[in-house]
Amino acid sequence: MQKGNPMTNREKYAAAFQTTLMVEEAKLSNLKYQDVSTWDSVGHMALIAALEATFGIELHIDDIIDFSSYAAGQAILAKYSIRMED
Amino acid sequence: MKCVSDLPVEVLVGGRLSEIEAKPMQPYSYEAVAFLAELSQGLLANPAIRTYPDLVGFAYWCRKANLQRLARDWKSQRQRIGRGIAFHIAPGNVPVNFAFSLGIGLLAGNANIVRVSGKRHPQTSLICAEIDRIAKQLGHERVASMIRVILYPHDDAITAALSESCHARILWGGDTTIAHLRTLPVSPRCVDVVFADRYSLCVMDASAVLAAEKEAVEALAAGFYNDVFVLDQNACSSPYLVLWRGDAAEVDRAMLRFWGAVEHLLLSKPPSPVMHGLDKYAHLCRISVLLDSCVSVTRHQNLIYRVRLRELSSGIEHYKGRYGFFFEAVVKSVESLKTIVGERYQTVTCFGVDPEEIISLVVNMGWTGIDRVVPVGKALDIGVVWDGYNLIETLSRTVADC
Repeated sequence: MQKGNPMTNREKYAAAFQTTLMVEEAKLSNLKYQDVSTWDSVGHMALIAALEATFGIELHIDDIIDFSSYAAGQAILAKYSIRMED
Repeated sequence: MKCVSDLPVEVLVGGRLSEIEAKPMQPYSYEAVAFLAELSQGLLANPAIRTYPDLVGFAYWCRKANLQRLARDWKSQRQRIGRGIAFHIAPGNVPVNFAFSLGIGLLAGNANIVRVSGKRHPQTSLICAEIDRIAKQLGHERVASMIRVILYPHDDAITAALSESCHARILWGGDTTIAHLRTLPVSPRCVDVVFADRYSLCVMDASAVLAAEKEAVEALAAGFYNDVFVLDQNACSSPYLVLWRGDAAEVDRAMLRFWGAVEHLLLSKPPSPVMHGLDKYAHLCRISVLLDSCVSVTRHQNLIYRVRLRELSSGIEHYKGRYGFFFEAVVKSVESLKTIVGERYQTVTCFGVDPEEIISLVVNMGWTGIDRVVPVGKALDIGVVWDGYNLIETLSRTVADC
């Protein structure tokens, strides 16, 4: 990321996955819960905390449970007015 | 009320004991929430903590979003303020409890002197190092001045000196420890919050287990694993008994499905120490002599021992095992719990059973025990309400205007 060029929501979303679950960017789009050993119930807590901190939101408990894939998460965040740019 | 003096203790976090800032704050102060949120972020950013699910659980609990939610639920009880100094004696069996205890003490608005167990769990060092790091940051001085984490061997003189200088004591550690600590002099206004020996159980609905999708049963097994095996079944809130609701044939099938999934999960984990298997075997020998109501035993390798009971009899909790040792019984309805539940019962974890049903029984039938009913997987989730106490209220005082 260059100075003066803020990250887009999509980049922030991907970065949260990459740093907490240590998954390469190329594998993100099809990633589902428990596809990788780092996305277990423990990794899930780290991921949720990172997303809440990144976007300044409080995810509802039902949404935390339903957050079962990279794609599903984007739809959930949309409910909190966090939209991924095209 | 005596001032805190410097004592011969090892200080793991913070400066001299005599320099602790005893001036209380309002519950859920901006400063305390900011400090704990920073602690959460710092811990979660450290890959080393991933091997400790309990530590991740603590960091997850004190994340900013959760603390803001708790603060909102508390609403603006503006006329409350912390009591002053809270002295915590943390337990040896649950490594991260000292951190929850400290976090709750801070949220209630108190300065905190926390005596950790001499067992020197790695979780303790990781949390202390992170608190130390944050304490040095600009903007966190006030809260940092309210924290001391200390270590000393059992020593009544030190414990008594601290007890006489504090406004609240939070005593973890079971009946014997508590009975002893209560013989020591405390300041006249000191409030004691005690966590005595408690027992917990799990209630499953057989038809719900049978009807669940494969993934749901795997998730149930994973939740049960966290409730029991993460802390070797040593926590007060880990179930020692699994109660099955349904008819006999249905329950048999549900048991096969559920325990099969738990066994499968355990086999995917690193092997447990040989001593844990021996402990279960020895315990089985003991109870087969002492307990008449045992009908059969089922063993899943050396990982799980299950003892089937003919009926629920009062006092069964005294035979509680560890490391994956369970009693099981079949009941027609959860009301059968009344034969065993006394004040010693703490948490009920459930699957396929509505928590409200159990809570109504406790409240409407006037049971003296059970102060927590949560889904399977949540047994170890300590919160600001624990053991029947609203800890933020108990550890703060009201300034009334009437």
